[in-house]
Amino acid sequence: MKRYIIKRLFAAVITLLGVTFAVFLTVRLIPGDPAVVVAGPMASAEEVERIRTQLGLDRPFLEQYGTYLSRLIRGDLGVSARTQQPVLREILARLPYTLELALVSGALATITGVAAGVIAATRRYTLFDYLASFGTLLGVSMPVYWLGLLLIVLFAVRLQLLPAAGADEPASIVLPALTLTAYSVALVARMTRATMFEVLEQDYVRTAWAKGLPLRRIIYRHALRNALVPIVTVVALQFGALLGGAVLTESVFAWPGIGLLLVDSIFARDFPMVQGIVLIYSTMIILLNLGVDLLYAYVDPRIRYG
Amino acid sequence: MRPLKSMRVVALAVVLVAALLLSACSGGGAAPSGSSGEGSDSSAGGDKTFRIAVGIDPDTLDPAGMTTTTVANMVDYIVETLVKIDKDGNIQPGLAESWQVAPDGRSITFKLRQGVKFHDGTPFNAEAVKFNIERILNPEVRMPLRASYAVIQSVEVKDDYTVTLHLKEPAPYLLGALTYTAAGMISPKSVNEHGNSMTTYQHPVGTGPYVLKQYTKGSQLVLEKFQDYWGEKPYYDQVVFQIVPEAATRESLLLAGQVDMIILPPTSDIPALQKNPKVKVLLAPSDRTIFVAINTQHPALKDKRVRQALNYAVNKEEIIKNVLFGAADVMDAPMAKPLLGYCQTGPYPYDPEKAKQLLQEAGATNLELKFVTPTGRYLQDYQAAQAIANFLQQVGVKTTLSTMDWPTYTATVQVPPEQATVQLHILGWAPTFMDAQQQMLQFTKDNHPPKGLASSYYTNPRVEELVAQANREVDQAKRQQLYCEAARIIWEDAPWIFLWVQRFPIVHSAEVTNISYLPNEKFDAIYARPVQ
Repeated sequence: MKRYIIKRLFAAVITLLGVTFAVFLTVRLIPGDPAVVVAGPMASAEEVERIRTQLGLDRPFLEQYGTYLSRLIRGDLGVSARTQQPVLREILARLPYTLELALVSGALATITGVAAGVIAATRRYTLFDYLASFGTLLGVSMPVYWLGLLLIVLFAVRLQLLPAAGADEPASIVLPALTLTAYSVALVARMTRATMFEVLEQDYVRTAWAKGLPLRRIIYRHALRNALVPIVTVVALQFGALLGGAVLTESVFAWPGIGLLLVDSIFARDFPMVQGIVLIYSTMIILLNLGVDLLYAYVDPRIRYG
Repeated sequence: MRPLKSMRVVALAVVLVAALLLSACSGGGAAPSGSSGEGSDSSAGGDKTFRIAVGIDPDTLDPAGMTTTTVANMVDYIVETLVKIDKDGNIQPGLAESWQVAPDGRSITFKLRQGVKFHDGTPFNAEAVKFNIERILNPEVRMPLRASYAVIQSVEVKDDYTVTLHLKEPAPYLLGALTYTAAGMISPKSVNEHGNSMTTYQHPVGTGPYVLKQYTKGSQLVLEKFQDYWGEKPYYDQVVFQIVPEAATRESLLLAGQVDMIILPPTSDIPALQKNPKVKVLLAPSDRTIFVAINTQHPALKDKRVRQALNYAVNKEEIIKNVLFGAADVMDAPMAKPLLGYCQTGPYPYDPEKAKQLLQEAGATNLELKFVTPTGRYLQDYQAAQAIANFLQQVGVKTTLSTMDWPTYTATVQVPPEQATVQLHILGWAPTFMDAQQQMLQFTKDNHPPKGLASSYYTNPRVEELVAQANREVDQAKRQQLYCEAARIIWEDAPWIFLWVQRFPIVHSAEVTNISYLPNEKFDAIYARPVQ
């Protein structure tokens, strides 16, 4: 087990290194001179040159990358080109908003998704099953952007029940969280339904039926418990997708998380900030995957690590 | 072993779900961790808080760092300038009560208002002015608009309330430049406080009617009334700028009554908002000219008859009515009306027959041009470009229209003439201060890319001469005449397809009043108050 963990950690570090290089390369391939963008439309040529030197953009690519890495190792993500503030500080100030949104939506999606999946699996081909399939299909196919605006028009403008945007009061999270939940509940429900299906076909469930155990007991004590491993995996991975889905949701609802910051920074050609955010995103997703793998190996005796 | 394992799975799952639930419950409350305290404060204030939704998160709150009008507009609540502009673009006293330009134009002396205090209690005086002017000239301070002030040679304190700026050469545009937020007066003491320094200035302390209370990045800027303000006190105790990037969301916030005012609603919703009795729409005149820059160095476009033909070919009224929903006025000069130096030189009426005839005379049949436009940078820019391409097609000018994101776009069009890949591109030009000197940056050789942003590469020796003369002319009447003459030549030479002067849409709740505008795309809502 220990060797396996070390191996997986090592792989995670390599992946992260690959990510830093890919991002570093990509942002530099985007046309548009960041020095010009940062300086603003009325800046003189000298001012632009000064900013270019200040940002280190006048040096060769590999040298820039090397400097970036050596700083990174010391935990220094650089200084934002747009705001002149340390990247890490800006990200940390806004990360809690994104995590909170993802956690709330994740919890909602898990509860409703698992419940819907279980019911659909036990009542196969009934009206509920069809409705659940239709609902989840609608959930995945409705663009976040469109759904978000619909919710705003309904709950904020028409009914005047909820805040339309921002994050100044507890109720502010409701609409963005609902939007994001719709996006991921479908996958959890479908996965739960499929897994439950499979488990309900197993011999021991049939034995339980034969013994005349009550339905509730069969489903919760026997079937769901064994279906949980893949469901936990999906939920955990879904969390990564939620972090990504938050980019659009945050823009629509003016939710001040790192998704919104990422969009702003891309438009402002704020290289250090874009790199920093992508790095944080990647780290979180790599850690999630690592966690899931380890959890998997831990809980399922059939999985051998080596 | 097996039951134990399963128990672990369940336990883990329970812990996971519990953790999610817990975070969900506490999350809601902890959400605005930074701002919740202030948030509830402001709602307790009830009707004494004025909320404005804007689209842009400040990159900096240092007045010297200003390049974005919306951000400058917010900072204007906190920091004031020596002179101000009014609704019509005229220069008015601000922190300076009066000023005197020396007969040779090489110095300006300001008499300062007395009894003015900065928010930190320190007095505003001639020393403070000297400190501020020297700061914006200091190359260590990041100041994108420094070029407009570089003409200042030194600052002399005559007495506590008299200060003289000595100039390298006469610069009649300087007063205009001093109205811009970048020249706003900050407390000298404040550069060593609140985490500020000379070069990084994040917490502005000025003399304005509102004090910066709190800024939550990406979310909101909260201002509080300054009790010792020297001028007329505003009505609202608190002003909150809420940062909402999506235009449709801003509109919803206003319609839901969650903010009192927004800028830039979705353009296509303007007619509906105008009919809605709950809100008022202000289509404020601005100084932003929108045009199609013509690459005047391109072989097919060197002949001015061709460029004039393009001007006659486009029905601007029609586009303003149907595509911009009335939010613009047709250009009748190469600059907007509020600018000092403006005189009417146009128009180019819609006349496709004349356009065809001019193209024929110039031998420019079968023209094929590359045409690019940004999307979402200016009101309905892409939609307008499609309409323009269609009008050009009707006189036999074929265009291939494409669009790209803004940084890519500027990288494509702001290149030296020999690297130009497109022949037509849409651009907006909004002088930061109301002077023709600013507009003429678009028509002089010194400002051809890469040095400047005059991306039509237009030059005319006579215009160069007139502009150079006007930029130094001390006699304002004579100056006006020189710019006007230059403008007439530019109009005739048609380096642009002159389109329209964009209006700046401001929408506010019908329950508030006293909301106005400034001609440089700023709103003026400091003295907003509820309708009686």
